[in-house]
Parts: sequence; C-alpha cells; structure tokens
Amino acid sequence: MAAAICLMAAFDESRRELGAGDESRSLDAFLRGVERRALRMAELATGSRDEALDLVQDAMFGFVRHYGGHDGAEWPPLFWRVLDSRLNDWHRRQKVRGRWSFRPDDKDTDEDPIALAPDAREPGPLARMADGEATVALDAALRGLPLRQRQAFLLRIWEGLDVAATSVAMRCSEGSVKTHLSRALANLRRALEAHR
Amino acid sequence: MNLPDSKQPDSKQLDSNRPDDDRWLERAKALLDDSAGNLDAATLSRLNRARQAALATRRKGPSRWAWSAALAGAAAAVFAIAIGLHHQGGVPLGNPPPTLQAGDIDVMTSEDDLDLAENLDFYAWLGKQPAGGPSG
Repeated sequence: MAAAICLMAAFDESRRELGAGDESRSLDAFLRGVERRALRMAELATGSRDEALDLVQDAMFGFVRHYGGHDGAEWPPLFWRVLDSRLNDWHRRQKVRGRWSFRPDDKDTDEDPIALAPDAREPGPLARMADGEATVALDAALRGLPLRQRQAFLLRIWEGLDVAATSVAMRCSEGSVKTHLSRALANLRRALEAHR
Repeated sequence: MNLPDSKQPDSKQLDSNRPDDDRWLERAKALLDDSAGNLDAATLSRLNRARQAALATRRKGPSRWAWSAALAGAAAAVFAIAIGLHHQGGVPLGNPPPTLQAGDIDVMTSEDDLDLAENLDFYAWLGKQPAGGPSG
C-alpha cells in the first residue's frame, strides 16, 4: 500500500509537471503583457532605467515564486502588489541612505476652492501640447507626485484596475485609494497647467 | 469622489471633479502607452531575460527530488511488505528472527533504486513464496 501511495505521488507529480507547462506559458504571456508598463512605473518611481529593470526583475521573481500557482484571474492585482512592495522598499532604502529628495507629501493642502473650480471651456492641461512636449511634462508631473498618489494614478487610470484591485495592489483600503487618486489628479492638473 | 468598481474603468467612469478630466486623462493614458510601447531593443532584451529567468525558477520545481523520494520510499515499503509476508507465511519458531543483513543495506542505499522499482512485480511475487523458496 505504501509503495502504491509513493508511486501515485510520483505519478501525480509528473502530471502536475505537465500542467505546469501550460501554467508557465500562461505566466509568460501575462508577464509579457505587463512588463513594459511595470518598467515605466518603476522608472517613474526611481528615475533610473537600470534601477527600474532590477526592480521589475525582482518583482517577477517574487510574483512567480509566491503567486504563480494562483488562478490567472488573480494575477494582475497580485503582480502589481509585488511591484508596489518593491517600489516601497526602494523608497525606504533611499530614505535611509539620506538620498530622499523632497516631494509633496500626502497631507491635505489648503487649496483655493476658486482656483480649483472647473472651467467648462478649458480643454485640459495636456490639450495644447505636442506629443513630445506633453510626454516630458507628464513624466515630470508624475515624478513629482508622492509614491502612493502616483501608484494610485497609474494603477487606476493607466493599468485600469478597479478600486478593489487597486487596494489589493497597494495594500490599503478602498477609501485610501480614492483619496490618493483624487489628490493625484489635483496635483497632476496643477503641475501640468503650470508647465503650459 | 466616488469611483465605481469595474474591471477596466475608463476615465469617463471616474467621478472626477473637473469636467475636462476625461479628455486629458485619455491623452495621458495614450502618452504613457506610447512611452511603454517605444522602449529600445536593449531594454526589451533585458526584460525578456528577466522574465525567462523568473519563469525558469518555476519550471525547475521539485519533480526530480519528488521522484527520488518516491522511489526510495517505494523501495523501503517493498522490503517492509516482503518481510511482513514472509512472517505471515510462517517462520519456524526455532529459526532466529530475520534481521537486516549488510547486503540489504547495500541494496537499499544503492543507486539501483530505479531497477528495484521497475521490478516491483517480481519482489511482490518473491514475497509470496513459501519460506523454503519458490517451487517449480
């Protein structure tokens, strides 16, 4: 009986290995689909392509190791969660090394409600810029955001995660996601309008 | 600010506080997409290597180890069964109890586990034979 159990376990392992081939292909397709955006996200956070590549590679390893066996539908928020964790760690290390540059904090600012009042005639802060100029301005504005606001903006607006998935990725409440995003939109608008 | 849950929200679904948010957010998304789509070949190559390296850690897995452990377990189990069947067949009281001989240790620890596993039928048959040895 014990021998049969051992052989069945080995057989089961070989079957699992065959299934792992399909899983590897799915993982490969998933990572291929997100890697470029992940790199840009990390680049905006670090300001360095080399550091961004290292962080993305680290995130891929962590994701595959910890979440590769999860259902494919769960992968997007989990991958971004791993990358977000790596970005947070990177920022913490920078802070410890004393290379932390000043960024606007997440605290509420005394915003002038008149200045923030919508103007229906205004086409938007990026509308009057050419693509090249707009890209540079957007990059600068995104880099100027605090990490959490930038992550909320990129995950929610660019990556298209819903509030719940973004809260999983950022390990915070859904209310915090909405707050970070609202502040990110206000700060981005202000930065881009100033750039014009 | 009340953002509805949806899998792929576009900026129109965002209850943003500006009427023109839709337009500039669409533009921002398009610019970000362009920047991600226009990465240079060297960067793409590094991304590809990083992805393959990450996937390789999953492909390795524990299969080789699992097979070895299973075969070693199977070999030990076969010996245990053989000894048990030998006892059931009736060992004369006068005989000393069977003990593990040095030769048995060699077999159990040898690298011939694979052969042993492939001949499980033979060892099962052997275990069923009377103590005096197989007849015929």
